[in-house]
Amino acid sequence: MNTLVYDEGMGIRPFDVLEHPADIGFRAFGNDLPQLFANAAMAMLSIAGDPEAAEPRSEYSIAVQSGDRASLMVDWLSEVLYWFDGKRIAFREFAITGLTDCAIQATGRGEPREPERHQAHLIVKAVTYHQLKIEQRDGRWVAEVYLDI
Amino acid sequence: MHIEPIDAFRHRIPRDESRGMRTDVIVYASHRLIEQIRKDLSLEQAVNVATLPGIAGPSLAMPDIHQGYGFPIGGVAAMDAEHGVVSPGGVGFDINCGVRLVRTTLTAADVRPHLQPLIHQIFRDVPCGTGGSGNVKIGPRDLDRVLSEGARWMVHNGYGEERDAEFAEAGGALEGADPSAVSEHARERGLPQLGTLGSGNHFLEVQYVDAVHDEKIAQTFGIAKDQVVVLIHSGSRGLGHQVCTDYVSLMNKVMARYGITLPDRQLACGPIESEEGRRYLGAMCAAANFAWANRQGIMHFLRGAFRRIFGDDVRLALIYDVCHNIAKRERYEVEGRKRDVLVHRKGATRAFPPGHREIPADYRTVGQPVFVPGSMGTASWVLAGADGAMRESFGSVCHGAGRLLSRTAVRKGKDARQEQRKLEEQGILVRSETRDGILEELPEAYKDVDEVIEVVHGAGLARKVARLKPLGVIKG
Repeated sequence: MNTLVYDEGMGIRPFDVLEHPADIGFRAFGNDLPQLFANAAMAMLSIAGDPEAAEPRSEYSIAVQSGDRASLMVDWLSEVLYWFDGKRIAFREFAITGLTDCAIQATGRGEPREPERHQAHLIVKAVTYHQLKIEQRDGRWVAEVYLDI
Repeated sequence: MHIEPIDAFRHRIPRDESRGMRTDVIVYASHRLIEQIRKDLSLEQAVNVATLPGIAGPSLAMPDIHQGYGFPIGGVAAMDAEHGVVSPGGVGFDINCGVRLVRTTLTAADVRPHLQPLIHQIFRDVPCGTGGSGNVKIGPRDLDRVLSEGARWMVHNGYGEERDAEFAEAGGALEGADPSAVSEHARERGLPQLGTLGSGNHFLEVQYVDAVHDEKIAQTFGIAKDQVVVLIHSGSRGLGHQVCTDYVSLMNKVMARYGITLPDRQLACGPIESEEGRRYLGAMCAAANFAWANRQGIMHFLRGAFRRIFGDDVRLALIYDVCHNIAKRERYEVEGRKRDVLVHRKGATRAFPPGHREIPADYRTVGQPVFVPGSMGTASWVLAGADGAMRESFGSVCHGAGRLLSRTAVRKGKDARQEQRKLEEQGILVRSETRDGILEELPEAYKDVDEVIEVVHGAGLARKVARLKPLGVIKG
């Protein structure tokens, strides 16, 4: 089961919410690694806000380098969070244009955030290494990531 | 895991070399609390902290401990200043998350008839920040000054009264801030957020003094039964979150060079005396100063809101401001000799005893004020630091009630409006920018704050001074 009704008001999402006593995590899925990285970013942004309210009016290039696949996931999500919280972009989707174990290039489509149209659910502070998993299960890629909120 | 009771308020997890532990874990908890604490991973995390290179004395767990990332929330670890490590995760993403308590010249009876317009006014004047920006408008050059001068910059630029900065821990600004060690990403996240509360467990609560437990100390802090006070719980917002993110990432890249291996990558650390360690500490001090400026900005707009409702005669004065996510250089006797250490307090509050020179002169005879917020609808506490904290807990006590239920568990089957009404029936008005803000912070999500306080009081780490009850809450 890879969908979960988190809250009636928030719709059905293609990821699982993972429990943590103080914070929140998610389990995202992908048929391949690029899809996994894109879906993980959308899972995080769905916890923070409502990506479906974002119109893909502009394109934003994001590139991250890191030491290994696990830290690349944390650093990639941290960079997306910076674009969301610092540059205040509401993303609708991501296309991964290049991916190795140590580097990712992506194009995010979205628009500048407007408080009236892009409602926030939670302020996500950061992405953590806590119980971080990236693995293959039954032929699909799965990532488990916890966020500090 | 083997946990042995020491007395009614303390438990020990003895050093286990097979787990790489360099020292014991001491847990401040009653029998009932230890049973609750065992249900999550917090004690595993306190054991992991005991493996860190250069740890001096035991890894400590306060009675409000709960599972965090890397370090537990409610953990204290002192690292040898010369041979130890600094861990950005051991301070946490919300650098200098903390609490300031403001006293007013009003009583509960004065405020109750005007509570609704007051809460609405505060809600308008103190944004939580999901909307993008606060009411303190500064430019990039001002930000450098804020990072160096903290609350003092705010006071000197019209956001407060001279006395405010003096009554914050460290005078509202840590020495050693290095603005050049704060990334552009962190600056960009922080710049528009000065003067905002944040979400999660951050809040602003209008409270009244429900009971005074120590008349002399309460009088010294300027509080009396039924007096209205305001508790502000916030931190360094996106700026601090990004500083921690940047340096956890950096430490992960350089740890191998220093021969450090860890059971959990979130503990990522580097030698205090390394280039990376020094830069992190410079950035951490800068972020801590941003947090003090942030709470000062919030207090300034709070003053305005009170004046709009109650007129210009109402006075708001800072009792004190304490941080509970920080690393500080301090000196303690450890195993019989004086040592300089870097005390990591992650979800733990400094609690210096009477006579300590870092306490403002007005309070020096009674001990440092410590504020322990409970959950919405229960109670918060004012304590005073005691000698026990210097002897055994690196001058530290708890910081809150401690979570018991996950955010998803507490909201299951609950409706925000209904819960808001239930609190209103108890005389507590709640406003939140996000629906989730109310549900996820309901009182049942937390341990019993009174029981947590009994432990720190009973263990001699701090003294009970006063119990505060909420009238109105602004939630992120």
